[in-house]
Amino acid sequence: MRAQAGIGGLAGGILALDLPEDHVLVRAPDKVVRVSDLRLLLTLGAVLSGASVALCFTEPFDLVRALLALDGRVAALMLLAPDLPADVKRTLMREAGMEHIVTDRADMEDALTLDALPDAADAAEADSFDTRWLLTTSGTTGTPKCVAHERASIFRAVKAEQAGSRDHRWAMLYDPGRFAGTQVLAQALLTGATLLIPRVGMTTGDIVDWLSEEGCTHISATPSLWRRLLMAPAALRLPLKQITLGGEIADDAILAALKARYPKARITHIYASTEAGTGFAVRDGKAGFPAEWLERGAVVDGARLSLRDGVLWLCPPGAAMSAAAHIVRDTEGFIRTGDRVSIEDGRARFLGREDSTLNVGGVKVQVEAVEEIVHAHPAVAQCRITAKPSAMMGTLLTLSVVPRADQAHDVAMLRQEIAQYCKAHLPPAARPATIRIVAEIPVSAAGKTERAGQL
Amino acid sequence: MNQMLSQFPQADQPLILSEDELRARITSMFNEMWREDREDEPPVLENDTVLLETGFDSMAFAVLVARLDDELGFDPFTMVEEPVYPQTFAEFVTFYAQCAPKPV
Repeated sequence: MRAQAGIGGLAGGILALDLPEDHVLVRAPDKVVRVSDLRLLLTLGAVLSGASVALCFTEPFDLVRALLALDGRVAALMLLAPDLPADVKRTLMREAGMEHIVTDRADMEDALTLDALPDAADAAEADSFDTRWLLTTSGTTGTPKCVAHERASIFRAVKAEQAGSRDHRWAMLYDPGRFAGTQVLAQALLTGATLLIPRVGMTTGDIVDWLSEEGCTHISATPSLWRRLLMAPAALRLPLKQITLGGEIADDAILAALKARYPKARITHIYASTEAGTGFAVRDGKAGFPAEWLERGAVVDGARLSLRDGVLWLCPPGAAMSAAAHIVRDTEGFIRTGDRVSIEDGRARFLGREDSTLNVGGVKVQVEAVEEIVHAHPAVAQCRITAKPSAMMGTLLTLSVVPRADQAHDVAMLRQEIAQYCKAHLPPAARPATIRIVAEIPVSAAGKTERAGQL
Repeated sequence: MNQMLSQFPQADQPLILSEDELRARITSMFNEMWREDREDEPPVLENDTVLLETGFDSMAFAVLVARLDDELGFDPFTMVEEPVYPQTFAEFVTFYAQCAPKPV
């Protein structure tokens, strides 16, 4: 947080790459930010030099533009989700000591608009700060919490610019105000790539059309979002080089579907633990990870792993994080992730969260495991298991299925076919009692299949 | 897609059915489930048929109740405070009829 003279932050990092002035850094369907626009943005940001500023933007493009203006200029940035109620925003800001709010929304009192900030003195004269980033988590229940990240922890995983990375076109499909979004943003902007940001309200089909037209080469998304993207006809035309999956379990069905659709792309799935504040990447295109990574002495992306009673423990690299109340840590620094893992044929596989098991007549059923098996059915595009209360069994499973759009389906036949398939592949307690064929399955703001209140 | 879905409405609003209609729906769902699992013909459900002697176990009955909930829009077993254990088919149907939504 110490101030130094000169241009730091995201903009400083980009300027250090020495890109042509007309290079497009960020593109939305109707607007762009070029290298030549950075100077104006820095002048605007210099007005708030050293302040603590909350950002609340409806359009992700405008949020990224504000981050370019303010990161490295201000002491702290708080990224507020636009859909939070006004009083929750105020409480979060007050608790974290935010002095200003910058927004693109018309409905907020006392807010600043980026482009209406008065011109400051020479941008290059303003101090540079190691801006702290405060992200808000969308707790499924109760008030969202605020998690502070040192700048270093946000930018730790960014890989340096490589030959050709200036031609990369990254899609921003996560909310840039969430941790996964900050990772895409940092990786694209600090390697001279172009960040493609869809407008709010575009349908998945429109987004994929636009990304194909723009020649998108890199996409990072949750498996739930990938399943949606693959349903769009234009997905075939995406010239993808890098496919990244994270935030949920990447199963064999989605990995195989992506491999078949994009044979030339590199496919990486990321495991990240909120509890441990870190994770690792798997690059061999198979679900889970090699079981030898669990052996004592093995180090994966700087972390050490261990399996105890079927639950993954992870020892993060570097210094230990601050201890939150719910974090369980042993004397060696291993943290209990709460993710269940089993080993089969030398492969460690994720089964799901400890808290997403259902008790069906005394038998524990892991919902993610059931969903993984159903996803492997050729007619299934997306699926979700929810709990249905049962007086006799305690709980039964309800399965919702979105059929693949490229095949014709008779709903009753399809339901029967999937029921037979479940019977062949699942033990009795794990078979869905009811099957619904639906047009869509809601995905949360974080891009994950909604589970809130369902289990 | 939406057109296809509308041919198979999934109950959002409970249906108003007479006891005879309920009996027919329950029988038909029982038969449908039976044929999913077995080759032989389903047993004829009489008033005094003992449920657990039909060949359905408690899991199968739980599934029957769940599917009826999807079709009819209510699950009588989750509506009552004291647990109810109907033994014969007639008791089962009567229990459904007692808990069924009534016309306003």
